[in-house]
Amino acid sequence: MSGLDLRGIVKRYKGDTVLDDVNISVQTGETLVLFGPSGAGKTVLLRMIAGVIDPDEGQIIVHGRDMQGVDPEDRGVGMAFQNFALYPHMTAYRNIASSIEVTEKSKQKLDDAVQGVARLLKIDQVLDHAPRALSNGQKQRTALARALVGSPSLLLLDDPLRNVDAKLRFEMRIELPALLARQGTTVVYVTQDYKEAMALADQIVVLNTGRIQQSGTPADVYLTPANTEIAQQFGDPAINLLDVTPQQDDHGVYVSLSDKKLYIDSAFGPWCNTPCVLGIRPETLRLSTVASAASIPASVEAVTPLNEKTVTLLRTAGGRELLVSRPAGTDEDLSGQVFIEVSNESVMLFDKRTGSRLDAHQQEAVA
Amino acid sequence: MRENSLIESWLRGIAIAVVILFFMFPIVWIILMSFQTNETILRIPPSVVFEPTLDNYRALITGKLETNAASLDIAFMRNLGNSVLLSVGAVALALILGVPAAYSFARHKTRFSEDIAFTLLSFRFAPPLLVLLPLTIYFQKLGLSDTYFGLIWVYQLICLPLILWIVRGYFEDISEDVEYAYRIGGHSWFSTFRKIAVPLAGPGIAAAGLLAFIFAWNNFIFALVLASADKQPVTVGALAFVTASGIQYGQIAAAIVLSITPTLLLALYAQKYLVEGLSLGAVKG
Amino acid sequence: MSDHSLASPPPKRRFRIGRRVLPYLLSMPALLVCIGILVPFVTAALYSLQRYRLSQPWARKYNWGENYLNFLSDPSFWNTLKISLVYAGTTVTLELFLGLGIALLLQKRTRFNNFVSIMLLMPLMTAPVLAALMWKLMTNSGFGILSYMVSLLGIQDFRWASSPDTALLTVVLVDIWVYTPFIMILLLAGLRSLPSQPFEAAALDGVPRTFVFWKITLPMLMPYILTATLFRLLDSIQQFDIIYAMTQGGPGDKLTVFQVEAYLNFFQSTNIGRSAALMMILWAITFVLSNIFIKNWLKLRERAR
Repeated sequence: MSGLDLRGIVKRYKGDTVLDDVNISVQTGETLVLFGPSGAGKTVLLRMIAGVIDPDEGQIIVHGRDMQGVDPEDRGVGMAFQNFALYPHMTAYRNIASSIEVTEKSKQKLDDAVQGVARLLKIDQVLDHAPRALSNGQKQRTALARALVGSPSLLLLDDPLRNVDAKLRFEMRIELPALLARQGTTVVYVTQDYKEAMALADQIVVLNTGRIQQSGTPADVYLTPANTEIAQQFGDPAINLLDVTPQQDDHGVYVSLSDKKLYIDSAFGPWCNTPCVLGIRPETLRLSTVASAASIPASVEAVTPLNEKTVTLLRTAGGRELLVSRPAGTDEDLSGQVFIEVSNESVMLFDKRTGSRLDAHQQEAVA
Repeated sequence: MRENSLIESWLRGIAIAVVILFFMFPIVWIILMSFQTNETILRIPPSVVFEPTLDNYRALITGKLETNAASLDIAFMRNLGNSVLLSVGAVALALILGVPAAYSFARHKTRFSEDIAFTLLSFRFAPPLLVLLPLTIYFQKLGLSDTYFGLIWVYQLICLPLILWIVRGYFEDISEDVEYAYRIGGHSWFSTFRKIAVPLAGPGIAAAGLLAFIFAWNNFIFALVLASADKQPVTVGALAFVTASGIQYGQIAAAIVLSITPTLLLALYAQKYLVEGLSLGAVKG
Repeated sequence: MSDHSLASPPPKRRFRIGRRVLPYLLSMPALLVCIGILVPFVTAALYSLQRYRLSQPWARKYNWGENYLNFLSDPSFWNTLKISLVYAGTTVTLELFLGLGIALLLQKRTRFNNFVSIMLLMPLMTAPVLAALMWKLMTNSGFGILSYMVSLLGIQDFRWASSPDTALLTVVLVDIWVYTPFIMILLLAGLRSLPSQPFEAAALDGVPRTFVFWKITLPMLMPYILTATLFRLLDSIQQFDIIYAMTQGGPGDKLTVFQVEAYLNFFQSTNIGRSAALMMILWAITFVLSNIFIKNWLKLRERAR
């Protein structure tokens, strides 16, 4: 069954279209991540689902029920806000209880529910504190608890980790999926952080300037990004993008990288002699100290060891810069001259003019 | 350089002293006068050395003015009561009418609501007699001329714009998300207004109420034109008292002191909000 | 879009007011008050177009612009206009200079300065009528302390508000006493809200203080000065309380400013038509001023948010 259906949502503010024909469908129990830069329309969309903003056009259907004209208090959704939006004049306990006090008349059950969710989120010690006496992390957990306590059938989370420190964000990124799975609710999660998106999503919808740019599983978005922008947003270090112009010879279609011919899928033939952008994920590159026929010579410019990986900046003879990401500790230290091996299966080709990814097998630009 | 700044700080000190003297002297003088008998008041040259007496206040409070010639009734305590009733009533009505309107204007900006808000604001600056003169005739026809309610209603001319524009600012300062969260938590529009918006704007509402009270209390022209003798507040009453009591200067002074004390005390209490109130929310102190 | 009450039924049945209607419903009382005040306003406008004297009710009829036309050749009208403008101009100018000066004196946030600025608010919180009465007592020719002080200076028989020569001076003095704190407190708030960087930079560069005042302080303070001045001008041109309590417009017609003249016309000469026409002219003046004021005021309000 469909947990949430958005059909043809349009919203305008003073002549600007902030959401333009947005269509999304989420299965019950699935987590949808709305991903995009600020100003993309994610928050507006979330608020429409919650019912505090009305769409100008389109339908919002939650678990089969049309939400047209249904007040926010009657929608049965839970929501956590980016800025927490705690009620400053109520204790953490009252904040959480407020979400169920209207429907839950039994004092005992209300207390059980609040205590239960507070234990789950480890804030049971601070329930009698006012929001201003809570740490940022505790505020964030209180806001989450307030959204979760009523076991809503639809949970809306507006970038809940945005305003917490890195350590807490890391912890929550691990805890949240389990928490959400346990509730079994349909979740719409807004974020600007691709790692959160990848970690939590069953489905990712990439929004930009009010339009859906791409929609698919995390793997889809990562492996076949709709355009250079999405390709850059997903992945750390960011994808290498190189200006190329595909050529054709007897062996097939190729692009030139430092005088080496990198043969790509011959289905890219139609784009020969058109300016294109070659996308290579840093982790698909292999480095070697010895030259081979196809490998590209380059010099090591900088090595940045991170916890789980080492990022190396290389410069080819032609002056192009490339990032290579390798699992930490697996390779010997590199310096000076190295040789890059590119796997032609993992490269992507984008139209330079539109930025759209070129799909070898559909013979046309996606999206 | 050092000498220069020494002279300057002396000049500053003198300037501040002159300013304080000019602005505080009349109040101090009237307070001193209220504790004197006519005899010491009329001394020339005047002197601050006198034996304080409470006779003036006693006469006002008992309502009996004993003169050599006769015993006069003073209605001054009644004026004081009227002032309290009118000001409290006017503020209460302005809060009941103004706070929900301020909320709706803060949260649902439409052409229509802005028009009302600005019309109310413009009343603050229109000449009061313009509406008061026709109102004297209407009030007689409607039977309002001898009622507290009629006056309280007219007092909205000063109280309502003040409440509306100050409280509206406080409502605008509340994060909309907090209200959204409460509604999504299952509460109606009205209970969100009651349980979230009003408590969070509470200090602003209280301050606006106090200021409206001060302005209502200090108002003169509305009651002068519209109030019958037994409904007059202290501002009108004091003026009439001066004319009626002739040379009972001690009592006049005591009456003035009693009339200005409530607003001065309230002003001290609400001083943090005075700047905002006086500028109708344009400047924050 | 269809009426939203036709959508699938809400989980609970209860009385629901459409959310589009509710805001209007809440502002309804305020709207009614508006209308209640606009009705007498229209009535006053109609009166101003009538020959209407309470003493001659039978002669009441529309004479259209006659009340206004008569003003052109009516010296007492020109006197009213002149005295109102002089009063407003003098009080506001003096109060502006004094208020700015005091605000500059108290600019630094020290406990003493804050205490003084609160003390100075006392006159402003005194009802203007009562302030006028206080000054009336102080200028009493028999025992008034001010009369005594003037006599010490060798000026005998200084009659303050009862002399045509000094009546204006006296009421202006009371107005200054009451309303200078208004300008002072607004400008003080303005001064204290100015960003500190330009002043620190100027101090580091050794820029002379008079230059800083004219080129930095004053221009940055301008919106506050403008708002405070217009606000006071709007009130001052309508002054009634102080003048009425001190002299009732006298001596003679020395202080018959707009509202005093209209009041006397209405209640003493019972010439309602003329009274209403006077008020309409005052209203026209304040309408223009208040439009300029509101524009400035909105800008300041926007900044304060």
